This record gives sequence, structure tokens and C-alpha cells, in this order.
Amino acid sequence: MTVLVRSWDTLAESVQGTGKRQNQDWYAFAGTGSGADPLVLAVADGHGSAAHARSALGARFAVDRFVALATEFGRAAGSCDEPGRLARLMNYARNDFPRALVQAWRQEALGHWSRHRPVADLGRPEPDADEKLTLYGTTLIGAVVTPWLLTAWQVGDGDLAVVGHDGSVGRPLAPAEEDLGDETESLCGPQAWRAVRTHWAPVFEEARIPRLVVLSTDGLSKSFASGDGFTEFVEGMDGRLATEGFEGVRTALPDWLRHASRYSGDDTTLAAALLHSYAARPPTETEPKTDTRTDTHTHTDSEN
Amino acid sequence: MSGMTGMLDSGTRLTADTGEEVQVVDMLGAGGQGEVYRVKTSAGEKALKWYYPTCATAEQEGIVRELVSRDFDDDRFLWPEAYVPWHRGSFGYLMGLRPERFKGLPALFRRQLRTSTRALLTACLYTVEAYQALHSRGIAYRDISWGNVFFDPDTGDILVCDNDNAVVEGDASGISGTMEFMAPELVRGEPGARPGTQSDLHSLAVLLFMFLMNHHPLKGRRELAIHCLDEAAERKLYGKNPLFVFDPADDSNEPDPMEHATVLATWDASAGALQELFRRGFTAGLHDPAVRVRESEWRDALRAVRDAVVECASCGRQNMTEPDGHQQSAPRPCWGCGERLVLPPRLTVTTPPPRTERHIRLPRAARLHAHHLLAEPARHDYSDASLVAELVEHPTKPGRFGIANRTRENWTGTRSDGTSQQIGPGQTVPLRAGLELDLGGGARAVVRAK
Repeated sequence: MTVLVRSWDTLAESVQGTGKRQNQDWYAFAGTGSGADPLVLAVADGHGSAAHARSALGARFAVDRFVALATEFGRAAGSCDEPGRLARLMNYARNDFPRALVQAWRQEALGHWSRHRPVADLGRPEPDADEKLTLYGTTLIGAVVTPWLLTAWQVGDGDLAVVGHDGSVGRPLAPAEEDLGDETESLCGPQAWRAVRTHWAPVFEEARIPRLVVLSTDGLSKSFASGDGFTEFVEGMDGRLATEGFEGVRTALPDWLRHASRYSGDDTTLAAALLHSYAARPPTETEPKTDTRTDTHTHTDSEN
Repeated sequence: MSGMTGMLDSGTRLTADTGEEVQVVDMLGAGGQGEVYRVKTSAGEKALKWYYPTCATAEQEGIVRELVSRDFDDDRFLWPEAYVPWHRGSFGYLMGLRPERFKGLPALFRRQLRTSTRALLTACLYTVEAYQALHSRGIAYRDISWGNVFFDPDTGDILVCDNDNAVVEGDASGISGTMEFMAPELVRGEPGARPGTQSDLHSLAVLLFMFLMNHHPLKGRRELAIHCLDEAAERKLYGKNPLFVFDPADDSNEPDPMEHATVLATWDASAGALQELFRRGFTAGLHDPAVRVRESEWRDALRAVRDAVVECASCGRQNMTEPDGHQQSAPRPCWGCGERLVLPPRLTVTTPPPRTERHIRLPRAARLHAHHLLAEPARHDYSDASLVAELVEHPTKPGRFGIANRTRENWTGTRSDGTSQQIGPGQTVPLRAGLELDLGGGARAVVRAK
């Protein structure tokens, strides 16, 4: 029996919406997917209107806090030998993680507010915490991958797609009914942890590990005419990975996102992880890659 | 939820050890021990629990086989019905499918359900009776947690699922992975401490607190300092140094006004009769299993508080008030709108011997059920099937109420002036203070203004 050393290739890109002064999306990825160094991906979409004037920062805080907490969670997942440990982890993922995440984000946003009080507020009574947090309002989608576990969380809109070992595309965090209103759930909402959706998917069989995980802000899904557009996009991406390989997709991605952003008018961000052994499969014989990135990678275009 | 692939593919065929053919339809969910699938059998659709390989131990197999052999027939439980033998590194069991109307506690916590105070109190009472039924059969549940109990937000009906950790009392095999519901002595791993009825009583109190307060009783300020899955810190919180968030003698774990706003509000809105029991269970009861609140105590308090729920005249929300026999301070303000509550008249029922009094507040549409007329009802039932009487409004004179006889027997009503009348099935007697009712079978009732 061959012992496979799995690794993941990651790619991410963010495109500023046409006519927008600043890209209010943020993303990051970190880790390799090993037990000690879990793979973490996150995208966030700051709400962007005047009421949420600091949402680009809010998105960044959300991604940063998520990467830290999810990395900790992934490491704690460690080995899965003790049966009781699994139940404990699941309980944490579903019930405690959302509260910890919201708490950490609030702390960071409130800390930033007190260091950077709006000039216009001088002399006025201090706003309450909820008003301050509204300035930083953002969505978040994040996933963590360990050798035997995929867990993902989402608050607000945007999409998570998981391409299974058999090529089936699932959207495990899609709400039961599409939210048609403009009101999106947000990390700044009261009791925001209640709005966090969780996907818990242990995978104990090597052959059943998903081959592609895609996270995107709603700038992508909104660009499609039909509701299935996003799923078709992911199917297409999976197909291109098989025919053109990882580098081919990485090269093409910015154009795809720019195209989508022209239709949606919105900032458009995508982060994806591709199971390395899948990418290395025939038809093209490729050198086995050793992706040992451990640093957190984030985009920087909104800083300029 | 779409797009979940698990250990078993759709279409997989398995055979239960009863010989029953099973075909996998789709995956319903993933849990802490395994996955649950919808399957087709000759007896219709069922649920198949399939263990993760790491949980598919010989010990677990033993527990499942033992539970199946018990042939436990109780509509409040989804019990393992048939063992499904090994296939590709694991095994499982068949059970009934959970009907759609039953929802989990996480959905309640997330305010995704429309429910009511009465429904929640009913769910708590039914939960207590369900576990009592298990204990009376010598089965320790061991794994009471919010993942196992489902309830109907309209009626309060409950369904206990994933009963694959229940064992015969005294059996020390395996324990649950989550500490939140574990008795402190088990978290501490004290020599001689074993999961059993005494430790279940702690778990039950935690579950009831979570139902009614939507929060964990030991998660106050101290939990805010705990980082991700810090086992040592959790052992301290739940085992070594547990402290109730409303401990009257020590406020060092009190709720944080921002992070724990929910429990501050729900505790404030709950009846003193329940607060008293929670206080005992989570102060002295944390350290001395013998003083934990017994199921019969929960049952008595919950039914009394449920009978004292009244609607706010201003906003219509259901409020708990103190049941009779508990200190009745001036009526509190409504938890929803803040208006002062107005207490409606009360019906005092005296059961046949051993005579016991029940006090039922009579807000609009109040209902009297068969169990109200029994001193020791085997089980409480608030469904239409057990309806004995209800308060109805006069069809042409709004604001005038009467008590309608929903039984097949005649009642006798005696007014305060001594005159009496017969109230036949379907008939209504005007609601007046001092009205006495002979409800048949030795049960009597009297209407009181306050």
C-alpha cells in the first residue's frame, strides 16, 4: 500500500469592482493541510456603503482573526484516535467557534475604533458598541482543512463550493432558500454568532477527500444570469484544472474575475485549494511538487 | 444542505442482521461519532447511523447490539432498531427517521424557530419524563447533550435521538466527548465516579437550563478567557472549579453584559420556582451529587410554572409568573414590552386522593388536561387528545368568558350563592369567582379571582 503525502495547491485573486474607490474584499490562505499546519482559506466582503465606512478594514480583521482561530482549531483537531475527541471538536466547531470568532472580530474592530476615532465625532457623545461595529460590517467565509477534516463557516453572502472525490459539486453552506433581499447577514449584526453557518465534514478515507475547495465573495455569483451559474463556474474550473493544470488556471483566474466584476459591478474575490495528488494525475505527467508555504498570503492591492 | 458526500455512496446496499435489505438514499448529516443516512427498507424509509472508523469500536458494537436487543418501545425516543454489520471498516444501526417538525436546540439558540414559553416549558417537562422513564428501566443515558434532544417548537413534543450511548446503570464503558454536559466528578475523573443516574441528573439540569435560558449555566466571565479547545481550562470550568453564573455567594463568574446578554434576560424572565432549583443544582449540586434536583422535583416545578404562564395584555407575549405556593411579589413587568402584567383568575383543582392541589391561571384559551385531575399522572400530555376543559369567550359578548366542558361526562357547577347547574359535554359555564366545579371521578375545582 502506498502512503500518500497529500498537499494542496492554493490560489487566490481579488478584483476591484468597476467604479469603486477601494476594494472592500479581503482574502488570505495559510498552511499546507498537514496535522501540524492545517490549510486555512478565507474571503470577506466589507459591506461598502457609507454606513459601513470602515468595512474594508472590517473584512481584513475578519480574515485575520479567522486565520488565527481556524489554524488553532485545525491544530487542535490533531489526531482523531480518541472517539470522544471528535464529538468534542464538532461541538466546538458548531457552537463555540462562531462565538469565539465574533468576539475576536468585535474586539479587533472596537480596538481599532478607539485608536482611530472619527474626527467628525469629536465633541459628540461616544456611540455605543453596536454603532461603532456597524462601521466595520463585513461578511466572511472560511475553511480549514486537516488530513481528516474539512470544516467551514460562513456569515452573510458569498459562496463555498466543495468538489468531491467523484467530481460532484456541493455548496454545503448555501442557505436553504436563497436570500433575495438586500439585507445580508453580517459580522457586525447583534448576536452575529447566531448567523454563522457551519459545515462539518470528517473524511477518513484517503480516496474520498474533496479535490477542490472554492470560496468566493458574492461579486462572482452575482455576475451570473442564472442561479446555477456559480456551480457551473466551479465545474468549469475543475475541468480546466484537469486539462490545463494548476498553473493554467492560476494564469486565467484574474481575467475570469475581471470579467465577472464587470457584470456584477462588485469587488470579486476567489480563494481555492486544489488537492495536489489530483492535480498530479494524468493526462499530463507533472513533477511532484512540494508546496511548503507556511506564511499567510494576503492580497495587498487595497493597501496601495 | 446540498453536496455532502460521506462514507457511503447513494445506492449502496447493506443487510441488517435481521436480514432486512437496506439501500442508501442520501446523507442527512455528519455528527461527532458518525454520519446519518436516509435509507430505503422494505418497511419504508429509515435512518441509518454509520460510525466513523475511529468510533467503530468493538465496545460500541456491543452497546448497539445490547440496545437493539432491548426492543425499547417509547415514542419519545429514536432507538436503535437493527444492527447493520461491518462493511468497509465500519458498522451502524437502523432507527426511525426524525420527523421534520422536531428541531434542535442550536436552532433555538440562533432564534431560527418560532416558539413560546409554554412550548419550552412543555418540552422541558417531557424531557424530564423521558429520562425518568429510562432511569426507571435501569438505563443510564450518559450522553445527554443538546445534540440529542429535539423538540417541536409548537407543541413542546420531544424526541431523543442518537441513543447509542445509553447503557445499563453501572456499566463504566466509554464516556461522552463533550464536557459541557458532564457531571463535575466525571470531568475531574475522580476514582469511583461513574456515569449513572446521579451524573445524568446534572446533565439534565444543564439541558433544562439551556432550553429555558439559552445558555450554559457555567459559562460566565471565566469562559471569555478560554482559548480554542483549551482542555485544561475547560476541565477547570466544568470539573475542578465549576461556578454557576448566578451563584449567590460568588459573582466572579457572572455573565458579561455584552457577551452574555441573552442569559441575563432569560434568567430575569424566568419564574423563581425554577431559579431556586437551578441555584441548588448548580451550587451545592455541583459538589454533592446527592442533593441534585431529582426528576420528580423538576416535573412538579415545571408543570406548576407552565400552569402559571400568562399572556401580556399589552403585547401578547407569554410570561412566566410565580406558581401558587411561591413567594408572589407584585406582578413583574412583561419581559417583552415592559408593561405590568395583569394576572387573570385562577382555577384551583383538587385531585382525587391522595388529594393534591393544582393551580391553573386562566388567561384567554387556558386549557385543563386529564393529568391536571390526577394526583400522580404517569405522564403529562398537553395535546388536544387529553383536553378536559378550556376557557372560551362568549360568542356574542366579547370579554365574557366561560369554562367549556370537553369531556363526555356531566359536571356540576355551584355558584357562590349556592345555586347549582349541570354542565353537559360541550356546554359552557360562565367564569365567576367562587364557582365550584365537580369534574367527576372525585376531582373538584374552584375559580378564584386572584
